[in-house]
Formats: sequence, C-alpha cells, structure tokens
Amino acid sequence: MAKNSYNDIAEAIYLSTHGKSGAMLSESLNDIVNFLNRKRLLSKSKYVLEALNKIVDRTEGRIKVKVKTVKNLHPEAKQELSHILQNKYNAKHVEIVEELDEKVIGGMRIQVDDEVMDLTLKNKIGRLQEYLTNA
Amino acid sequence: MSNTIVENLKREIENFTSKLQVEKVGAVLEVFDGIAKVSGLSDVKSSEMVTFANGEVGVALNLEEDAVGVIILGDYSKIKEGDEVKATGKILEVPVGDAIIGRVVNANGVPIDGKGGFKSDKTYPIERVASGVVTRQSVDQPVSTGIKVIDAIIPVGRGQRELIIGDRQTGKTAIAIDAILNQKGQNMICVYVSIGQKDSKLRKIQARLEEGGAMAYTVIVSAGASEAAALSYIAPYTGVSIAEYFMDQGKDVLIIYDDLSKHAVAYREISLLLRRPPGREAYPGDVFYLHSRLLERACRKNKEYGGGSITAFPIIETQAGDISAYIPTNVISITDGQIFLETDLFYKGIRPAVNVGSSVSRVGGNAQIKAMKKVAGPLKLEMAQYRELEAFAQFGSDLDDATKRQIERGKRSVELLKQLQYSPVKVENQIVALYALVKGYMDDVEVNKIKDFEAGLVEYAERNAKTFYKELMTDKMWSDKGEEELKKVIADFKTSFVK
Repeated sequence: MAKNSYNDIAEAIYLSTHGKSGAMLSESLNDIVNFLNRKRLLSKSKYVLEALNKIVDRTEGRIKVKVKTVKNLHPEAKQELSHILQNKYNAKHVEIVEELDEKVIGGMRIQVDDEVMDLTLKNKIGRLQEYLTNA
Repeated sequence: MSNTIVENLKREIENFTSKLQVEKVGAVLEVFDGIAKVSGLSDVKSSEMVTFANGEVGVALNLEEDAVGVIILGDYSKIKEGDEVKATGKILEVPVGDAIIGRVVNANGVPIDGKGGFKSDKTYPIERVASGVVTRQSVDQPVSTGIKVIDAIIPVGRGQRELIIGDRQTGKTAIAIDAILNQKGQNMICVYVSIGQKDSKLRKIQARLEEGGAMAYTVIVSAGASEAAALSYIAPYTGVSIAEYFMDQGKDVLIIYDDLSKHAVAYREISLLLRRPPGREAYPGDVFYLHSRLLERACRKNKEYGGGSITAFPIIETQAGDISAYIPTNVISITDGQIFLETDLFYKGIRPAVNVGSSVSRVGGNAQIKAMKKVAGPLKLEMAQYRELEAFAQFGSDLDDATKRQIERGKRSVELLKQLQYSPVKVENQIVALYALVKGYMDDVEVNKIKDFEAGLVEYAERNAKTFYKELMTDKMWSDKGEEELKKVIADFKTSFVK
C-alpha cells in the first residue's frame, strides 16, 4: 500500500477536528498525538503542521503573501496591494509579510505559495540582458 | 562606427518590452548525486526544464505529491538546500544551426572544443514525437559504409536503424568511424554521439575524423564518463534533435550512438536515485521506451515532407557475447537489423569481425544498387554454404570435389571481405572485386595473395574498365558491353598477376 503523505495526514487531522470543541476536541487531539507517536511521525510533525496550515488557510480563504522590496511599503500601497490580491486569488484575508532586500534595486517581488510575480528592477535588467545577448 | 553601435543598442533597448509573468517557483529540499528534490512547482510538467538560482538547468522527471524530482544537467555542487527553482514552461531545448557542423558540443548543445560559440538559427526540443506514418517513405537508398562485408551482405539504407553489437574491443566504434569517413561527397551529415566514453577515446576519434576531412560534415555530441549521469541520459536525444534539424531541411543524416548500453546504465542510475522501482537487471520498467522513442526518430521522409532521412547506428556492448541480456534483446527488437561482431573472429584476424551468420539487415536488398545486388546474391549463398561446411574443412582429402571447391571459395570470400581500419572502399571497387570472386576468377589465386590480387585488380580496372565504371556511376548497373570489358580486364590482370 502506498505511504500516506503529510498532506493526507493533515487532511485527516483537519476532518477529524473540524467543528469540534471542548472535551471532544481535546479527545481528538489526544488521539492524533497518539496516532503520530504510533506511526513514529512526531519528529515529522513540523511538515504535518505546515500541510495542516495550508489546508486551514485554503478553506478559510486566507493567503500569505511574501513581498520583497528595497524599502518598507507605504500603508496605502499595502492596502491597494492587499485589495488587488484579494480579487486575484478570491481570498477573504490577505496577510502580507514584508522582506527588505537591497539587491532587488527597485520595484517589488510578490510571492503567493509557489507563484511569483517579479516586478523588481533586478529582474527587468536580467531580462534586458537576456534580450540583448540573444538579439 | 561607435555611433552606429550606440544607435543600434538604443533601438534594441527601445524595442524591448518586459511583460509581467507569473512564474512558478519552488525550493530545493535536498540535493544528492545529481538529483534535487524540490518543493513547490505545483504546475510543473513531466520533462519540463527548470532553472536553479545559480543558473544551472534541470529537468523535472518525478512528479510526486509533496515534491518534484529533478535531474541536474551540470554542476550540482553549488546548489544548496533552500535555493529557489523556477519552472520555465518549456521542454529542454538545444541550439541548432548550420554552424554546428564541425563542432564538438556537450549534451546541452554548448561547444566544448574551445573554438568559441556558434550562431544558432533556432532551438529544437530534445524530446519530440517521432515522424508519423504519413510523412514517411520506405527505405530504398543505400548508405555506403565503405566496408565490403556490410555493403555486400548486410546493406544499410538511408532511414534504417542498424545495430552494431559485440563485446568490448571487437571494432564496433571502428565500423561507425569508417562509415563516417566514407560519407565524404555522399551528401550526408553525420552526428556522432559519445555516451559515457573516455575523453581520450573521443579526442582520438575527433583527430581521426579531422585527419580524414570528415569534420566538414560531422557534429560530435559528447557526454563524457566524468560527467553526470543526467548528461549521458540526454546526450542521444540532443544528437537526434540536431539530426532532425538537418533532416527537416531535406538532408540525409547518419547518427551514431556510441553506446546505448552506457545510456541505459546512466538511466538506471537516475531512476534508482529517483527511487523508481527496479525491474530486470535493476533497470526501470520504461527502459524499452527509453530506446524505442529514441530510435523511432530515425526515418526516411517522403518528398512532400522534404525527403530527408536519419539513419541510426546504435552501438551495444555485450558481456561475453551474451546477446540475450536485457538491453541487447530490447535494442535488437527495436532496430531493423544488427551487425554482430565476435571476439573469436577478431583474434582469428578476420577484421571487421562481423559474424555474417548472426548479422542481418531487415531492409536488405531494397537498399542496394542493382549491380551490388547482382554480385552480393551469390556471395551470400556461398558464405552460407561455407559456414555449413567449415567444420569439415579439416578432413581435407576425404571430401568430394564439389565440397572442396565450396570450401576453397569460402576461404577466399572471407579473405576478400577482410579490410583494414580507416580504409573504406568505394562501392564500384567493391563490385569489381566481388564480381571477380563470384565468377570464379580468384579460385586459383592462393588465399594469402587474395588481398594483393584485389588491390592490383581494382587499380588496374579503374584505369582500363572505364565503360564499366561509367555505367555503374550513371545506371547503377552494368550492360553486356560493360561486363565484357570487365571480364577482359580481369583476365588480362590475372595473366600478369600470375606471372
């Protein structure tokens, strides 16, 4: 039989705990920890939790956006970006994580999951270089 | 002058537009033995090219739920865990163009001969579906290899796939190189793909081809023994893509894969590292498809589709003559025939060490010129009879005259078919020599003098049988007049030779 992936386990955890609270939730969580222990997966709990986070984010319409810029974003620009991404990804909540990097020279690099929109000057110069060397 | 450069540059920059692209990225989870496990890359396709942060290129081979298994085509020592990997949306491509002729390139199509870059017209994907049935035509034009035993008994046609198989040190590469050397002036482009070979061997081959003037129509694709298995895996596909570029221009191409045993071994290494289930001899389940999709790209196109062709000479190295091993049987079943070389024959001094009994060409006589067919027919029969009677040769005087005669003829046939390396023989000269043999002119020449007789006869006939040669060049067959002339020339020569 095929090995269960972290995604499969996270999906199972989500389904077994979804809509539960109080003593029932506590009992389910106990069972989950026992299960992970029995399957020797406690050391891999980091990956299971990552997968679980993704499932929760997806079902709750939440996206985490990494934005790389030279300077911190202006609050208005941040607001606008959040709005655009909300529409593009059909999300209810947008969480923007800013990262400063002088190497991008200008513009910004937006990453949502494994999708990247590279609007940095560094990227544009790279493309221009490629274009000119191939011309 | 400088103004023009500035103006041109300005214009190019003005023409440049950068569109917003949404790219798929991933991160390296682990790197080992030329393989990278990458997270992310959710929409990546199988065989899609990916780029690493340090500029190295990879190919996505294993698409799993949590990660993607990528083979790295280059130096993997500088790729670290956490490095970004970008999907390109493209299948791996190689640069092609007329300027690639005469060059030595690596599996990525990058020149490695120290002569700088070359201007490529376009790029060709290395994985392509082979030409369809409607575009093809049956094989009916010969590839002249210049090797008597092949051209006469195992003829190869343009668009055919003929396997060269044998143990180590039996002259497999020698046959391939001789075939390339003989393509001078034959309107053929040659591609030599070296897979997992020693660099010293490749250097020797390159020098030999340069010496023979063959690099003027040859491209060498090399994935050396010191390079990653991933490069050995893609090298034949790179070679055939280059060949397809020329075929699409209506040209005839001869491609040599030296050798596919090492190619299979490289693929086995990659597959095991990617944790694909091993099958027979630990090769993965799709090792047959690995070679069938490669060799299926050899074909002859019909006139409506340009009329070009790719003739393939794959080489397989056997262990202790075992042609029933996994890879040899696979490739034998894929190809249109095989040239089987034997160690015993090689050490008996029969070189090329072709075992005529086990070798076969499924296209056969269709790809021979009429004149060659005429002399090769009786030769094949005589060789077959000789093989049957060979075991009785030691009984000598106890045999009847007819058997003795057949054995003697057989001995002379074997002697005549011997040939030195790097000395291809023109097809007209082959026909003259074989004509003299099958018509019995050599029966009273001593076996150890056959080579001298052949050399002398060919030289004499070239000077004196002009009509015969002219007819062969124009009509590919002799007339009664030409035959009479040749008969006279052979008789004259024989008189002077015996003296």
